[in-house]
Parts: sequence; C-alpha cells; structure tokens
Amino acid sequence: MDKHFIARGVKRCSNARFLLWIAPWEALLVFGLYAAGLCLVRGLNQTNMDNRFAFGLWIFLDLTVIALGAGAFFTGFLLYILKIADLRSVINSAVVIGLVCYSGAVCVLAVDVGQPLRAWFTFWYPNVHSMLTEVTFCISCYLTVLLIEYLPIVLKNRKLRQVPSFLVFEFELHKLVYVLAGVGTFLSFFHQGSLGGLYGVLRGRPFAFREGLAVWPSTFFLFILSAAAVGPSFILLTTWLVEKISRKRLVRPEVLRLLGRISGLLLGVYVLAKSIDTLVWINRTSPEHGFPAAEYYSWRPFGTWILFLEIVVFGLIPALILLAPKLRVRTGWLVSAAAMACCGVALNRYVQTVQTLALPTLSFDPFLSYSPSWQETGTFLAVVAYGVLVYSYSFRYFRLFPDERELQVEVKHEEEERELVGRY
Amino acid sequence: MLPWNYGFHWSAASYIFLGAFYTVLVIVATTLVIALVRSRRELRANAVDRIRWHSDFHDLPEQDRMCRHVLTGEFKSRECPHAFDCRECETHPKLLAKRPLPAVDEAEEDLFGMSFPLDRFYHRGHTWARLEKDGVMTVGLDDLGRRLLGVPDAIQLPQVGERVHVNGTAFRFRKRDADVRVLSPVDGRVLETGSPERGWYLRVQPDPLDVRHLLRGAEVRPWVMREMERLQMALSQDRSAPTLADGGVPLDDISVAYPNADWDDVCGEMFLEA
Repeated sequence: MDKHFIARGVKRCSNARFLLWIAPWEALLVFGLYAAGLCLVRGLNQTNMDNRFAFGLWIFLDLTVIALGAGAFFTGFLLYILKIADLRSVINSAVVIGLVCYSGAVCVLAVDVGQPLRAWFTFWYPNVHSMLTEVTFCISCYLTVLLIEYLPIVLKNRKLRQVPSFLVFEFELHKLVYVLAGVGTFLSFFHQGSLGGLYGVLRGRPFAFREGLAVWPSTFFLFILSAAAVGPSFILLTTWLVEKISRKRLVRPEVLRLLGRISGLLLGVYVLAKSIDTLVWINRTSPEHGFPAAEYYSWRPFGTWILFLEIVVFGLIPALILLAPKLRVRTGWLVSAAAMACCGVALNRYVQTVQTLALPTLSFDPFLSYSPSWQETGTFLAVVAYGVLVYSYSFRYFRLFPDERELQVEVKHEEEERELVGRY
Repeated sequence: MLPWNYGFHWSAASYIFLGAFYTVLVIVATTLVIALVRSRRELRANAVDRIRWHSDFHDLPEQDRMCRHVLTGEFKSRECPHAFDCRECETHPKLLAKRPLPAVDEAEEDLFGMSFPLDRFYHRGHTWARLEKDGVMTVGLDDLGRRLLGVPDAIQLPQVGERVHVNGTAFRFRKRDADVRVLSPVDGRVLETGSPERGWYLRVQPDPLDVRHLLRGAEVRPWVMREMERLQMALSQDRSAPTLADGGVPLDDISVAYPNADWDDVCGEMFLEA
C-alpha cells in the first residue's frame, strides 16, 4: 500500500509487520502523553520533586539525551566542516537522532517548567543571571536548525520529490547545509557547555561546584568534551541496533570503526581531563569549601564505586577498546565499548543531577532521597517512545542510509562467493 | 537581558550574548531565504528536470555513476563528475584526442541476441538517438530497454512542441508496478510522437545538435555487457528470481519471465531513476 513512499531499491517489512512494531510504542506514547498532560494541567504536584529536590528524572533525561544527541552536531561538523566524507553514510541518521533527542528534551523541559501558557516568558523575560537562559536559547535555536536539516531528508521522500517545488527546494537547501552544520556546531557547543556550567556554578553545592576559566567552570568544558566523545558512539550503537532489527547491512563496517576511533580518541581526552578535574576538586576545591571529598561518598548508596564506575569502567576501558585497532575490528568489542561510553555519559549526568541534590550541604541537612512518580516515569517513557516512532517512520520512508542499496548488492556478492567456496 | 526588558542595561555580556544570538538567527534566516530565492529562480527557469537528474544521479550506487572511459578500460575506476553530460567534461575530449575510438566494421552489435545498430548514439538510460537526413533526431528505446518494457501498460509522451532536455524526462511509462521516467538523450523540441509499434517514441528538432555525451561505436559493446551484469544483479536482488542463464537470450518481454520480481526496482535501476 505504501510502496510508492518507500525509496526505490531498498526493502522494508510489510505494513502489518510495521504496525505490529509501532503499536506498543504508540501505546506507550499515549500513556506518557496522559501523564505529561496531568503534570501540565494539575501542576508539578504530580511529581515527586519539591523545592529541595528540584531536578529529577526529567533533567537527568534531558542532559543524557542532549549529550547522546550530540552525534548530530559533531558528525555534521566532521563531515561538512572537516570534510571527512566517509561519514556521509550516517549523517541522515545522525540528524534524525539529533532531532529526536533535542525535540524530546525540549518537550520534557516544557513539562518540567510547567505553566504552558507562559512558556514564551523564557524568551521574552529571560533571567540574566541564569545559565538556563543560554541553554533555552541555544536549544531552541539548535532545534530550529535540526528541523531545517531534517527538511531535505523528508523532502527527498520518493513521493514528495515528485512535487517540483519540493524537489528544487530540497536540492537548494542541501547545497547550503554546511552553513547549518556550522551554526549547529556553534550552538551545540555552547549549550552543552552551559548545561555543564549550570552545575559548576552552584557555590552552595560543593559536590558540584568547580573552578574554571574566567566565568566558565570546568564542567562547562567537560560537558562539551563528553558529549562530543559519546555522540559518535551513540550513532554507532543506534546504527548497529537498526541493522540488527532490520536485518540489513546499512553502512560499511569501516564507517562504524571510524566512528569508534573518533569516539575513542575524544573519550581518552575526556577521561584525562575528568581525572585531572576530579583530582583538583578532591585536593583543592572541595576542602577549600570545608568539605573533605570523602564525605560525599559516605552516604549510601553513593560510594566511591560510582566514581570508579564513571571514570574507569565507563570511561577509560571503552576509550582503550575503541583506540585499539585489533579490538575495534571486532563488532562485539566495538559495540560493547560504544554502549559503555553511552552508559558513562548517562551516569555522569545522573551523578551531576541526582547525587548533587541528594547530598546534604549544611550540618542540619538530611540526606535526601527521591524516586520519580508514575507521571514522571510516564513522561520519560513517552520521550523514549516518541524517539523510537520518529526514527522508525524516518527509517521506513526516508533514505537514512544512502549506502543501503549499494550494500545489498555487495552482500549478495559475498553470499554468492561464500556459496561458491562452499561448493568447491 | 533583552533591550525591551525592564531593568535592561547595556554591558559587555549583553553585547556578546545578543550579538551571538541575533547573528545565529540572521544566518539561519538568510540561509533559508537564499534557498527559497534560488528555488524560485530555478523553478522559473524550468530547471526541474536538470535538478531531478542531478539528484537521481547523486543517489545512484557508486558503480552506476562510473565514467564512460572506465567501460572502455582507459580508467580502472572513475566517477563521472558531470552526471553523464560529457559536453561539460574537460577530460573526455583530451582522452578522445589521445586515443580515438577504434573503428567498428559491423553495422550493428549483436549481443545476447539483442541488436544494437551502430548508426545511432546511445544514452546510458537505454535510449538511442539517430540523426536523420532532414536534421531531425529520432529517439527510441534500445533493445534492452524495449525488452524491459515489453508491452507497456501505459505511456505518457510529451506534447508536440514541448522541449526536452538531455538527462531530462523524455517520456514516462507504466509496466506492472513500475512507474518510471525515461531520460532524453538530446536537447530539442518535439516534432512528432511515436509508439512502441513504430519502433521509436519521439522525433525531435535538436537544439543545439550536440551528441558528445552519447555512447557510440566501440563503446556500445562494453556498455551493454556491463548493463547485462547490472540487470542480472537487479533481477536477483530479492532472491525471488533465478539469475540469467548462461548463453540464454532475453525474452521480448523480460518481465514475463520474472513474475515475482519487483519490476519497479528493476526498471528504476536500469533506467537510472532513484
């Protein structure tokens, strides 16, 4: 029925199978929208956050998806600015992932901020003293850029490109995409940094507070670096997942290895920077504020194991795997390392958000605990479902992997060769 | 923060922030406006066909974008930088001057039971163009194209008087589930339209008369050999169809032999439509 909407030369599953795949995600989305609706209509009393524990699951989700979505800006930067042409194979997928991550983050932020009728206040009456202002402006602008970058992918749909004005506009817009890639890099660079800066400037919370350069705390730079390091890993991981689910070869293995190498290199630099930052914080910043760093880890469940897990297990080890050519060529190692790197950034954002707020800062403060309400969890799941749905529809109807058609032929050749070798 | 806010005052930070913010907005808006203005200009200049072909060409698999000099063995591999329009190519005339095409004795190439008369020029989208004595170009489908199409379900020909462009749409056809456009080998104005029964589809007054981009003589054989490989691959992709038998001859209507093949994919591949 929808064959004429699907790119020529590629195979997609039947409508029935596709509907079967998307049905549970749609159900999850509906449930999540209901939960989010409750939060918007009845207010934030639907959540388990309060004035003390103001950041919870949603901010953790925001920070994580924005870091993982950094693959969009970083791949665009590498392809269009540094001219690493091999990444053309994954750029469309990276744009969709970026769009999903950023639009999901904006939606959750909108629910978190609440007062939907006054959402525009954040743009019209921005708070000069808040790093969140920079985040809001950068995310909104970058989401606009991502939507414009997504437009050529949509307009290239087989049916849509039959409309002459769509075809011509897509062609002309695509020629200027390097400008958008440059702008996207600038915006993403700043808001990743601002998100990190949000924590680094918290003088009242010595666990998060960091020194830095001029007005920028070290977390500003660490967030940028970690996002740039993990973005390619997430693209690698999603591409591999899509290949497994669709049972198709979508990109050449060398492209995945290249993504792994880039990710490994940046992750190595990040682990080094993070280690130095942690040592400075343990030995100088925190004691100067009257807190020996060991004290933060005396509150269960946040032991020093979490620091070890973040820096060594999910940082150093995947970096070493991704940097080792012999391990990188083996898909199992490559994908596991990419998954570990993604877990590392998620853990870092979790520590920054939840551990920071849980720890007491005054002698009479209790250790706070927080677990999200079902409405918060529902909203969280809605973003996940939304992401899967947008990606699934995009994969079905748009050409996310330009080499797919060519690779089908190569796979066929390989199969024939294997068959011949087996025969003789 | 913003000049219209209560309590706003200019400072270095506000200059930097507002400067960066508005610069980004201006760049994004300008990019969109430029794309829109250029699109409008191209639409007015009737450049849709040219753009469609460039877009299609860009989406073709790498091995289908190869230069004609790869077919004749002058290059091991080279991607055509001009989307099969050798009139724009600087390398093509130099190579021809260095190594002219060898003469062919036969009046036609007989390949796999298909006939490719050498009194005409061939486009890589399976059309031919023959210059008649009256200066008019006759355009038709080559033997492989004709067999792919068999008896078409429908054909949409251009109106008499309409202009066709090299690598633009000459005509469209429907066959089973395939709805494919056929590329025009020449620039010019349509004088008359034909039909499959007449063996040709268009008679065109060429303007300008230039066939440098079309294959001829000794180029035809290696090209057809290559096309047969592509056809074999296209027919065997979904593994629902057997490969072509060695020494066999394509039927008059190849689609009959492959009732389960995705004919839209096969025709799209062979007629170079993405």
